Amino acid sequence: MEKISTITESILLVDDNPTNLQVLFQTLDGVGCKLLVAKNGEMALSITDKARPDLILLDIMMPGIDGYEVCRQLKSVPATADIPVIFLSALGDTEDKVKGLQLGAVDYITKPFQPDEVIARVNTHLTIHRLKKEVESRKDQLEHELKVVSEVQQKLLPKQLPEIDGFKLAVHYETSRYAGGDYYDIIELPDNHWGFLIADAEGHSAPAAVLMAMTCALFRSYPGTTTDPSKMLQYLNEHLCKVADPSFMTALYAVYDANQKTMRLARAGQPLPMIYRFSEKQAIEFPCPGVYPLGIEPYEIEIPVTEMKLEAGDRFLVYTDGVSERFNAEGDIYGEKRVLQLLATNRADKPRDVLAAIMADVERFADKLPADDDQALLLGIVE
Amino acid sequence: MEIIQKEENGIVAITIKGRLDADSSPEAEKVVKDALEGQTTRVLFNLASLEYLSSAGLRVLLGAAKEMRRKDGKIVLCALNEFVKEIFEVSGFQSLIPIAESVESGIQELS
Repeated sequence: MEKISTITESILLVDDNPTNLQVLFQTLDGVGCKLLVAKNGEMALSITDKARPDLILLDIMMPGIDGYEVCRQLKSVPATADIPVIFLSALGDTEDKVKGLQLGAVDYITKPFQPDEVIARVNTHLTIHRLKKEVESRKDQLEHELKVVSEVQQKLLPKQLPEIDGFKLAVHYETSRYAGGDYYDIIELPDNHWGFLIADAEGHSAPAAVLMAMTCALFRSYPGTTTDPSKMLQYLNEHLCKVADPSFMTALYAVYDANQKTMRLARAGQPLPMIYRFSEKQAIEFPCPGVYPLGIEPYEIEIPVTEMKLEAGDRFLVYTDGVSERFNAEGDIYGEKRVLQLLATNRADKPRDVLAAIMADVERFADKLPADDDQALLLGIVE
Repeated sequence: MEIIQKEENGIVAITIKGRLDADSSPEAEKVVKDALEGQTTRVLFNLASLEYLSSAGLRVLLGAAKEMRRKDGKIVLCALNEFVKEIFEVSGFQSLIPIAESVESGIQELS
Protein backbone atom coordinates (compact mmCIF):
# COMPACT_ATOMS: atom_id res chain seq x y z
CA MET A 1 0.00 0.00 0.00
CA GLU A 2 1.38 3.33 -1.02
CA LYS A 3 1.63 5.95 1.67
CA ILE A 4 -0.30 9.11 0.95
CA SER A 5 1.99 11.31 2.94
CA THR A 6 5.75 11.50 3.15
CA ILE A 7 5.57 13.08 6.58
CA THR A 8 6.54 10.56 9.24
CA GLU A 9 3.67 9.39 11.39
CA SER A 10 3.94 9.91 15.11
CA ILE A 11 2.81 7.86 18.09
CA LEU A 12 2.26 9.28 21.54
CA LEU A 13 3.11 6.98 24.46
CA VAL A 14 1.48 7.84 27.76
CA ASP A 15 2.45 6.19 31.07
CA ASP A 16 3.23 7.56 34.51
CA ASN A 17 5.79 4.81 35.16
CA PRO A 18 9.19 5.75 33.61
CA THR A 19 10.21 2.09 33.29
CA ASN A 20 7.06 1.21 31.38
CA LEU A 21 7.56 4.23 29.18
CA GLN A 22 11.12 3.13 28.49
CA VAL A 23 10.04 -0.40 27.56
CA LEU A 24 7.30 0.89 25.27
CA PHE A 25 9.72 3.28 23.62
CA GLN A 26 12.20 0.48 22.94
CA THR A 27 9.46 -1.80 21.69
CA LEU A 28 8.23 0.70 19.13
CA ASP A 29 11.57 2.24 18.24
CA GLY A 30 11.80 0.22 15.04
CA VAL A 31 8.31 0.78 13.54
CA GLY A 32 9.44 3.86 11.62
CA CYS A 33 7.38 6.42 13.48
CA LYS A 34 8.33 9.45 15.47
CA LEU A 35 7.74 8.61 19.14
CA LEU A 36 6.43 11.20 21.60
CA VAL A 37 6.15 10.54 25.33
CA ALA A 38 3.99 11.89 28.12
CA LYS A 39 4.30 11.12 31.85
CA ASN A 40 0.74 12.02 32.78
CA GLY A 41 -2.71 12.91 31.45
CA GLU A 42 -2.17 16.68 31.39
CA MET A 43 0.97 16.29 29.32
CA ALA A 44 -0.76 13.84 27.01
CA LEU A 45 -3.53 16.37 26.27
CA SER A 46 -1.09 19.19 25.76
CA ILE A 47 1.16 17.23 23.39
CA THR A 48 -1.83 15.91 21.46
CA ASP A 49 -3.10 19.43 21.05
CA LYS A 50 0.21 20.63 19.61
CA ALA A 51 1.56 17.62 17.74
CA ARG A 52 -1.61 15.75 16.61
CA PRO A 53 -0.11 12.25 16.77
CA ASP A 54 -1.46 9.52 14.48
CA LEU A 55 -1.93 7.04 17.31
CA ILE A 56 -1.96 7.17 21.12
CA LEU A 57 -1.01 4.36 23.48
CA LEU A 58 -2.64 5.34 26.71
CA ASP A 59 -2.16 4.00 30.24
CA ILE A 60 -5.35 3.98 32.31
CA MET A 61 -4.23 4.26 35.93
CA MET A 62 -2.39 7.55 36.32
CA PRO A 63 -2.39 10.17 39.05
CA GLY A 64 -4.32 13.33 38.14
CA ILE A 65 -6.25 12.93 34.91
CA ASP A 66 -6.51 9.19 34.27
CA GLY A 67 -6.48 7.51 30.87
CA TYR A 68 -10.28 7.27 30.62
CA GLU A 69 -10.60 11.01 31.16
CA VAL A 70 -7.85 11.78 28.63
CA CYS A 71 -9.70 9.65 26.08
CA ARG A 72 -13.03 11.29 26.88
CA GLN A 73 -11.54 14.76 26.42
CA LEU A 74 -9.83 13.84 23.15
CA LYS A 75 -13.02 12.36 21.74
CA SER A 76 -15.04 15.46 22.65
CA VAL A 77 -12.94 17.76 20.47
CA PRO A 78 -13.44 17.37 16.69
CA ALA A 79 -9.75 18.07 15.95
CA THR A 80 -8.58 15.13 18.06
CA ALA A 81 -11.64 12.87 18.00
CA ASP A 82 -10.36 10.82 15.07
CA ILE A 83 -6.96 9.98 16.56
CA PRO A 84 -7.02 6.26 17.38
CA VAL A 85 -6.42 5.44 21.05
CA ILE A 86 -5.18 2.07 22.30
CA PHE A 87 -5.54 1.55 26.04
CA LEU A 88 -2.63 -0.07 27.76
CA SER A 89 -3.13 -1.17 31.32
CA ALA A 90 -2.62 -3.84 33.89
CA LEU A 91 -6.36 -3.93 34.35
CA GLY A 92 -7.52 -7.04 32.62
CA ASP A 93 -11.18 -7.13 33.50
CA THR A 94 -13.69 -7.30 30.68
CA GLU A 95 -15.51 -4.41 32.30
CA ASP A 96 -12.47 -2.15 31.98
CA LYS A 97 -11.94 -3.15 28.38
CA VAL A 98 -15.57 -2.45 27.56
CA LYS A 99 -15.40 0.91 29.30
CA GLY A 100 -12.31 1.88 27.30
CA LEU A 101 -13.85 0.79 24.01
CA GLN A 102 -17.10 2.58 24.81
CA LEU A 103 -15.11 5.76 25.32
CA GLY A 104 -14.02 5.45 21.71
CA ALA A 105 -10.71 3.56 21.99
CA VAL A 106 -9.92 1.30 19.02
CA ASP A 107 -8.15 -1.39 20.98
CA TYR A 108 -6.98 -2.56 24.38
CA ILE A 109 -3.72 -4.24 25.34
CA THR A 110 -3.23 -5.81 28.76
CA LYS A 111 0.08 -5.43 30.57
CA PRO A 112 2.44 -7.20 30.80
CA PHE A 113 2.42 -7.12 27.01
CA GLN A 114 4.27 -9.05 24.34
CA PRO A 115 6.38 -6.62 22.28
CA ASP A 116 5.41 -8.37 19.03
CA GLU A 117 1.73 -8.01 19.86
CA VAL A 118 2.11 -4.29 20.57
CA ILE A 119 3.96 -3.76 17.28
CA ALA A 120 1.38 -5.75 15.31
CA ARG A 121 -1.56 -3.88 16.81
CA VAL A 122 0.11 -0.50 16.37
CA ASN A 123 0.78 -1.26 12.71
CA THR A 124 -2.79 -2.42 12.15
CA HIS A 125 -4.28 0.73 13.65
CA LEU A 126 -1.86 3.02 11.87
CA THR A 127 -2.87 1.39 8.58
CA ILE A 128 -6.58 1.71 9.34
CA HIS A 129 -6.08 5.34 10.36
CA ARG A 130 -4.08 6.07 7.22
CA LEU A 131 -6.72 4.49 4.96
CA LYS A 132 -9.48 6.33 6.76
CA LYS A 133 -7.70 9.63 6.23
CA GLU A 134 -7.16 8.76 2.59
CA VAL A 135 -10.84 7.93 2.04
CA GLU A 136 -11.86 11.15 3.75
CA SER A 137 -9.46 13.25 1.74
CA ARG A 138 -10.63 11.65 -1.53
CA LYS A 139 -14.25 12.21 -0.52
CA ASP A 140 -13.51 15.88 0.27
CA GLN A 141 -11.75 16.23 -3.05
CA LEU A 142 -14.66 14.64 -4.93
CA GLU A 143 -17.20 16.84 -3.17
CA HIS A 144 -15.09 19.86 -3.92
CA GLU A 145 -14.89 18.94 -7.58
CA LEU A 146 -18.64 18.39 -7.77
CA LYS A 147 -19.18 21.75 -6.14
CA VAL A 148 -17.00 23.39 -8.77
CA VAL A 149 -18.94 21.57 -11.51
CA SER A 150 -22.16 22.75 -9.91
CA GLU A 151 -20.94 26.35 -9.87
CA VAL A 152 -20.03 26.13 -13.54
CA GLN A 153 -23.46 24.68 -14.25
CA GLN A 154 -25.22 27.52 -12.48
CA LYS A 155 -23.37 29.88 -14.81
CA LEU A 156 -24.70 27.95 -17.81
CA LEU A 157 -28.30 28.66 -16.84
CA PRO A 158 -29.89 31.93 -17.98
CA LYS A 159 -28.90 34.70 -15.58
CA GLN A 160 -32.27 36.34 -15.87
CA LEU A 161 -35.51 35.61 -17.61
CA PRO A 162 -36.39 37.70 -20.66
CA GLU A 163 -39.33 40.09 -20.77
CA ILE A 164 -41.82 38.62 -23.21
CA ASP A 165 -44.84 40.56 -24.49
CA GLY A 166 -47.94 39.37 -22.68
CA PHE A 167 -46.24 36.29 -21.22
CA LYS A 168 -45.13 36.32 -17.60
CA LEU A 169 -42.45 33.75 -16.91
CA ALA A 170 -40.89 32.08 -13.87
CA VAL A 171 -38.50 29.20 -13.31
CA HIS A 172 -37.67 27.00 -10.35
CA TYR A 173 -34.44 25.02 -10.48
CA GLU A 174 -32.71 22.94 -7.84
CA THR A 175 -30.22 20.11 -7.98
CA SER A 176 -30.35 17.11 -5.66
CA ARG A 177 -26.64 16.61 -5.03
CA TYR A 178 -24.06 19.18 -5.97
CA ALA A 179 -23.98 18.84 -9.74
CA GLY A 180 -27.16 18.06 -11.63
CA GLY A 181 -28.52 16.93 -14.96
CA ASP A 182 -31.50 19.26 -15.36
CA TYR A 183 -31.23 22.10 -17.81
CA TYR A 184 -33.47 24.87 -19.02
CA ASP A 185 -32.81 27.69 -21.41
CA ILE A 186 -34.69 30.44 -23.18
CA ILE A 187 -33.62 32.09 -26.41
CA GLU A 188 -35.02 34.99 -28.36
CA LEU A 189 -35.89 34.16 -31.96
CA PRO A 190 -36.81 36.49 -34.82
CA ASP A 191 -40.24 38.09 -35.07
CA ASN A 192 -41.18 37.96 -31.40
CA HIS A 193 -40.73 34.21 -31.12
CA TRP A 194 -39.14 32.60 -28.06
CA GLY A 195 -37.61 29.18 -27.62
CA PHE A 196 -37.96 27.33 -24.30
CA LEU A 197 -35.87 24.24 -23.70
CA ILE A 198 -36.25 22.00 -20.67
CA ALA A 199 -34.10 18.89 -20.46
CA ASP A 200 -33.06 16.21 -18.01
CA ALA A 201 -29.94 14.06 -18.29
CA GLU A 202 -30.37 10.49 -17.03
CA GLY A 203 -28.50 9.92 -13.79
CA HIS A 204 -26.92 12.39 -11.40
CA SER A 205 -23.64 13.99 -10.45
CA ALA A 206 -20.71 14.42 -12.81
CA PRO A 207 -21.85 12.25 -15.76
CA ALA A 208 -25.24 13.99 -15.88
CA ALA A 209 -23.56 17.38 -15.52
CA VAL A 210 -21.31 16.72 -18.51
CA LEU A 211 -24.31 15.80 -20.64
CA MET A 212 -26.16 18.87 -19.44
CA ALA A 213 -23.21 21.15 -20.31
CA MET A 214 -22.88 19.48 -23.69
CA THR A 215 -26.57 20.05 -24.45
CA CYS A 216 -26.22 23.68 -23.40
CA ALA A 217 -23.25 24.19 -25.72
CA LEU A 218 -25.08 22.54 -28.63
CA PHE A 219 -28.29 24.46 -28.03
CA ARG A 220 -26.54 27.82 -27.98
CA SER A 221 -24.39 27.11 -31.01
CA TYR A 222 -27.27 26.00 -33.27
CA PRO A 223 -26.27 27.20 -36.72
CA GLY A 224 -28.68 29.95 -37.75
CA THR A 225 -32.10 30.11 -36.13
CA THR A 226 -35.14 27.92 -36.29
CA THR A 227 -38.67 28.31 -35.05
CA ASP A 228 -39.32 24.65 -35.83
CA PRO A 229 -39.00 22.75 -32.53
CA SER A 230 -38.54 19.40 -34.28
CA LYS A 231 -35.49 20.70 -36.14
CA MET A 232 -33.86 21.76 -32.89
CA LEU A 233 -34.40 18.35 -31.27
CA GLN A 234 -33.17 16.60 -34.44
CA TYR A 235 -30.02 18.67 -34.29
CA LEU A 236 -29.42 18.04 -30.59
CA ASN A 237 -30.05 14.32 -31.07
CA GLU A 238 -27.69 14.04 -34.00
CA HIS A 239 -24.83 15.37 -31.88
CA LEU A 240 -25.76 13.80 -28.54
CA CYS A 241 -25.92 10.34 -30.16
CA LYS A 242 -22.17 10.56 -30.61
CA VAL A 243 -21.45 11.11 -26.92
CA ALA A 244 -24.35 10.15 -24.67
CA ASP A 245 -24.24 6.34 -24.85
CA PRO A 246 -25.14 4.55 -22.59
CA SER A 247 -26.91 7.52 -21.07
CA PHE A 248 -29.56 9.80 -22.61
CA MET A 249 -31.25 13.12 -22.24
CA THR A 250 -34.98 13.80 -22.18
CA ALA A 251 -35.99 17.16 -23.62
CA LEU A 252 -38.94 19.30 -24.55
CA TYR A 253 -38.55 22.26 -26.84
CA ALA A 254 -41.34 24.79 -27.21
CA VAL A 255 -41.39 27.81 -29.49
CA TYR A 256 -43.77 30.55 -28.42
CA ASP A 257 -45.06 33.05 -30.92
CA ALA A 258 -45.84 36.07 -28.77
CA ASN A 259 -47.72 37.76 -31.63
CA GLN A 260 -50.15 34.93 -32.26
CA LYS A 261 -50.02 33.49 -28.73
CA THR A 262 -49.32 30.03 -30.07
CA MET A 263 -46.98 27.43 -28.69
CA ARG A 264 -45.44 24.78 -30.93
CA LEU A 265 -43.68 21.96 -29.18
CA ALA A 266 -41.67 18.84 -29.74
CA ARG A 267 -41.03 16.28 -27.03
CA ALA A 268 -38.31 13.66 -26.57
CA GLY A 269 -39.00 11.60 -23.47
CA GLN A 270 -39.92 14.55 -21.26
CA PRO A 271 -43.18 14.53 -19.25
CA LEU A 272 -46.20 16.00 -21.04
CA PRO A 273 -46.59 19.76 -20.67
CA MET A 274 -49.49 20.94 -18.54
CA ILE A 275 -51.92 23.66 -19.40
CA TYR A 276 -54.48 25.52 -17.34
CA ARG A 277 -57.32 26.81 -19.49
CA PHE A 278 -58.71 30.00 -18.00
CA SER A 279 -61.96 29.70 -19.93
CA GLU A 280 -62.58 26.15 -18.71
CA LYS A 281 -61.08 26.63 -15.25
CA GLN A 282 -59.27 23.34 -15.48
CA ALA A 283 -55.77 21.98 -15.98
CA ILE A 284 -54.82 19.07 -18.19
CA GLU A 285 -51.74 17.26 -19.40
CA PHE A 286 -51.55 18.42 -22.98
CA PRO A 287 -51.66 15.42 -25.34
CA CYS A 288 -48.48 15.74 -27.27
CA PRO A 289 -46.98 12.77 -29.13
CA GLY A 290 -43.25 12.48 -28.76
CA VAL A 291 -40.16 10.44 -29.48
CA TYR A 292 -37.69 8.65 -27.25
CA PRO A 293 -35.00 10.72 -25.47
CA LEU A 294 -32.04 12.39 -27.13
CA GLY A 295 -28.71 10.61 -27.44
CA ILE A 296 -29.91 7.04 -28.01
CA GLU A 297 -30.07 6.70 -31.79
CA PRO A 298 -31.16 8.75 -34.82
CA TYR A 299 -34.93 9.17 -35.18
CA GLU A 300 -36.37 7.19 -38.07
CA ILE A 301 -39.50 9.30 -38.10
CA GLU A 302 -39.91 13.04 -38.15
CA ILE A 303 -40.36 14.34 -34.63
CA PRO A 304 -44.04 15.27 -34.23
CA VAL A 305 -44.82 18.93 -33.54
CA THR A 306 -47.92 19.84 -31.57
CA GLU A 307 -49.40 23.29 -31.67
CA MET A 308 -51.48 24.85 -28.94
CA LYS A 309 -53.32 28.14 -29.00
CA LEU A 310 -53.11 30.07 -25.77
CA GLU A 311 -55.64 32.60 -24.49
CA ALA A 312 -55.42 35.32 -21.88
CA GLY A 313 -55.23 33.79 -18.41
CA ASP A 314 -53.95 30.41 -19.64
CA ARG A 315 -51.01 28.91 -17.80
CA PHE A 316 -48.36 26.73 -19.44
CA LEU A 317 -46.15 24.49 -17.32
CA VAL A 318 -43.23 22.23 -18.18
CA TYR A 319 -41.23 20.39 -15.54
CA THR A 320 -38.76 17.56 -15.05
CA ASP A 321 -39.75 14.26 -13.44
CA GLY A 322 -37.76 15.05 -10.28
CA VAL A 323 -40.85 17.03 -9.25
CA SER A 324 -43.60 14.51 -10.06
CA GLU A 325 -41.49 11.55 -8.96
CA ARG A 326 -40.55 12.91 -5.57
CA PHE A 327 -40.97 10.31 -2.83
CA ASN A 328 -41.89 10.46 0.84
CA ALA A 329 -40.54 8.16 3.54
CA GLU A 330 -43.47 5.73 3.05
CA GLY A 331 -42.36 5.20 -0.53
CA ASP A 332 -45.38 7.04 -2.00
CA ILE A 333 -44.83 9.09 -5.12
CA TYR A 334 -45.96 12.72 -5.47
CA GLY A 335 -47.36 12.20 -8.96
CA GLU A 336 -48.48 14.41 -11.86
CA LYS A 337 -52.05 14.63 -10.54
CA ARG A 338 -51.02 16.75 -7.57
CA VAL A 339 -49.12 19.11 -9.86
CA LEU A 340 -52.18 19.35 -12.11
CA GLN A 341 -54.47 20.00 -9.18
CA LEU A 342 -52.32 22.85 -7.90
CA LEU A 343 -52.08 24.33 -11.36
CA ALA A 344 -55.89 24.20 -11.55
CA THR A 345 -56.58 25.72 -8.16
CA ASN A 346 -53.75 28.15 -7.40
CA ARG A 347 -54.87 31.64 -8.38
CA ALA A 348 -51.66 33.59 -7.70
CA ASP A 349 -51.02 36.23 -10.38
CA LYS A 350 -47.30 35.89 -10.44
CA PRO A 351 -45.91 32.69 -11.98
CA ARG A 352 -43.17 32.76 -9.36
CA ASP A 353 -45.79 32.45 -6.62
CA VAL A 354 -47.49 29.54 -8.37
CA LEU A 355 -44.19 27.66 -8.60
CA ALA A 356 -43.44 28.43 -4.96
CA ALA A 357 -46.83 26.96 -4.02
CA ILE A 358 -46.16 23.81 -6.06
CA MET A 359 -42.71 23.34 -4.50
CA ALA A 360 -44.08 24.00 -1.01
CA ASP A 361 -46.66 21.27 -1.61
CA VAL A 362 -43.98 18.89 -2.92
CA GLU A 363 -41.84 19.55 0.16
CA ARG A 364 -44.83 19.04 2.45
CA PHE A 365 -45.54 15.73 0.74
CA ALA A 366 -41.89 14.59 0.90
CA ASP A 367 -41.92 15.42 4.62
CA LYS A 368 -38.19 16.12 4.90
CA LEU A 369 -37.12 13.16 2.75
CA PRO A 370 -34.52 14.83 0.50
CA ALA A 371 -34.95 14.82 -3.27
CA ASP A 372 -32.89 12.18 -5.07
CA ASP A 373 -33.32 13.86 -8.44
CA ASP A 374 -33.02 17.41 -9.74
CA GLN A 375 -36.20 19.45 -9.98
CA ALA A 376 -36.89 22.07 -12.62
CA LEU A 377 -40.14 23.84 -13.54
CA LEU A 378 -40.92 26.59 -16.01
CA LEU A 379 -44.28 28.35 -15.93
CA GLY A 380 -45.69 31.00 -18.26
CA ILE A 381 -48.91 32.93 -17.71
CA VAL A 382 -50.56 34.59 -20.72
CA GLU A 383 -51.71 38.15 -20.03
CA MET B 1 -35.47 -4.27 -5.59
CA GLU B 2 -35.23 -7.98 -6.17
CA ILE B 3 -33.86 -9.50 -9.34
CA ILE B 4 -34.16 -13.15 -10.31
CA GLN B 5 -32.70 -14.77 -13.36
CA LYS B 6 -33.36 -18.18 -14.88
CA GLU B 7 -32.99 -19.90 -18.18
CA GLU B 8 -35.63 -22.10 -19.75
CA ASN B 9 -36.00 -23.47 -23.29
CA GLY B 10 -33.25 -21.17 -24.54
CA ILE B 11 -34.84 -18.04 -23.11
CA VAL B 12 -33.16 -16.04 -20.38
CA ALA B 13 -35.93 -14.75 -18.11
CA ILE B 14 -35.13 -11.86 -15.78
CA THR B 15 -37.70 -10.90 -13.16
CA ILE B 16 -37.36 -7.49 -11.54
CA LYS B 17 -39.46 -6.70 -8.48
CA GLY B 18 -39.89 -3.52 -6.46
CA ARG B 19 -38.20 -0.26 -7.40
CA LEU B 20 -35.68 0.04 -10.19
CA ASP B 21 -34.21 3.49 -9.54
CA ALA B 22 -30.89 5.30 -9.21
CA ASP B 23 -30.07 3.30 -6.05
CA SER B 24 -30.87 -0.17 -7.34
CA SER B 25 -29.99 0.18 -11.03
CA PRO B 26 -26.21 -0.39 -10.66
CA GLU B 27 -26.91 -3.85 -9.20
CA ALA B 28 -29.55 -4.58 -11.84
CA GLU B 29 -27.20 -3.40 -14.56
CA LYS B 30 -24.55 -5.85 -13.41
CA VAL B 31 -26.95 -8.82 -13.20
CA VAL B 32 -28.45 -8.04 -16.61
CA LYS B 33 -25.03 -7.60 -18.19
CA ASP B 34 -23.84 -10.95 -16.84
CA ALA B 35 -27.06 -12.66 -17.90
CA LEU B 36 -26.74 -11.43 -21.48
CA GLU B 37 -23.16 -12.53 -21.90
CA GLY B 38 -22.27 -15.54 -24.00
CA GLN B 39 -24.68 -17.24 -26.37
CA THR B 40 -27.88 -15.66 -25.09
CA THR B 41 -29.99 -14.32 -27.94
CA ARG B 42 -33.48 -14.40 -26.44
CA VAL B 43 -34.27 -12.50 -23.27
CA LEU B 44 -37.55 -11.85 -21.50
CA PHE B 45 -38.06 -9.36 -18.68
CA ASN B 46 -40.92 -10.19 -16.33
CA LEU B 47 -41.89 -6.81 -14.88
CA ALA B 48 -45.22 -7.82 -13.31
CA SER B 49 -43.98 -6.89 -9.84
CA LEU B 50 -41.97 -3.83 -10.86
CA GLU B 51 -43.52 -0.97 -8.89
CA TYR B 52 -41.42 1.96 -10.01
CA LEU B 53 -38.95 2.67 -12.76
CA SER B 54 -36.80 5.80 -12.94
CA SER B 55 -34.73 7.03 -15.86
CA ALA B 56 -31.75 5.13 -14.42
CA GLY B 57 -33.91 1.99 -14.64
CA LEU B 58 -34.85 2.78 -18.24
CA ARG B 59 -31.15 2.96 -18.97
CA VAL B 60 -30.65 -0.61 -17.69
CA LEU B 61 -33.40 -1.93 -19.99
CA LEU B 62 -32.13 0.17 -22.87
CA GLY B 63 -28.66 -1.31 -22.35
CA ALA B 64 -30.14 -4.82 -22.57
CA ALA B 65 -32.05 -3.93 -25.76
CA LYS B 66 -28.92 -2.50 -27.39
CA GLU B 67 -26.92 -5.57 -26.46
CA MET B 68 -29.57 -7.86 -27.95
CA ARG B 69 -29.65 -5.80 -31.13
CA ARG B 70 -25.87 -6.01 -31.38
CA LYS B 71 -26.08 -9.81 -31.13
CA ASP B 72 -29.01 -9.92 -33.52
CA GLY B 73 -31.11 -11.35 -30.70
CA LYS B 74 -34.61 -10.69 -29.38
CA ILE B 75 -35.83 -8.97 -26.24
CA VAL B 76 -39.29 -8.42 -24.78
CA LEU B 77 -40.62 -6.73 -21.65
CA CYS B 78 -43.68 -8.40 -20.16
CA ALA B 79 -46.64 -7.67 -17.90
CA LEU B 80 -45.92 -4.04 -17.06
CA ASN B 81 -48.25 -2.45 -14.51
CA GLU B 82 -50.18 0.68 -15.51
CA PHE B 83 -47.69 3.07 -13.91
CA VAL B 84 -44.64 1.52 -15.56
CA LYS B 85 -46.45 1.18 -18.89
CA GLU B 86 -47.27 4.90 -18.77
CA ILE B 87 -43.60 5.73 -18.15
CA PHE B 88 -42.74 3.74 -21.29
CA GLU B 89 -45.38 5.50 -23.34
CA VAL B 90 -44.64 9.04 -22.17
CA SER B 91 -40.88 8.61 -22.46
CA GLY B 92 -41.12 7.15 -25.95
CA PHE B 93 -39.28 3.98 -24.94
CA GLN B 94 -42.07 1.73 -26.24
CA SER B 95 -40.72 2.40 -29.73
CA LEU B 96 -37.27 1.16 -28.71
CA ILE B 97 -38.10 -2.02 -26.78
CA PRO B 98 -40.94 -4.47 -27.57
CA ILE B 99 -43.57 -4.84 -24.85
CA ALA B 100 -45.93 -7.78 -24.34
CA GLU B 101 -49.12 -7.85 -22.27
CA SER B 102 -48.24 -11.07 -20.48
CA VAL B 103 -45.34 -13.46 -19.98
CA GLU B 104 -47.10 -16.01 -22.24
CA SER B 105 -47.44 -13.58 -25.13
CA GLY B 106 -43.87 -12.47 -24.50
CA ILE B 107 -42.62 -16.04 -24.93
CA GLN B 108 -44.58 -16.29 -28.18
CA GLU B 109 -42.96 -13.11 -29.46
CA LEU B 110 -39.54 -14.56 -28.82
CA SER B 111 -40.20 -17.85 -30.59
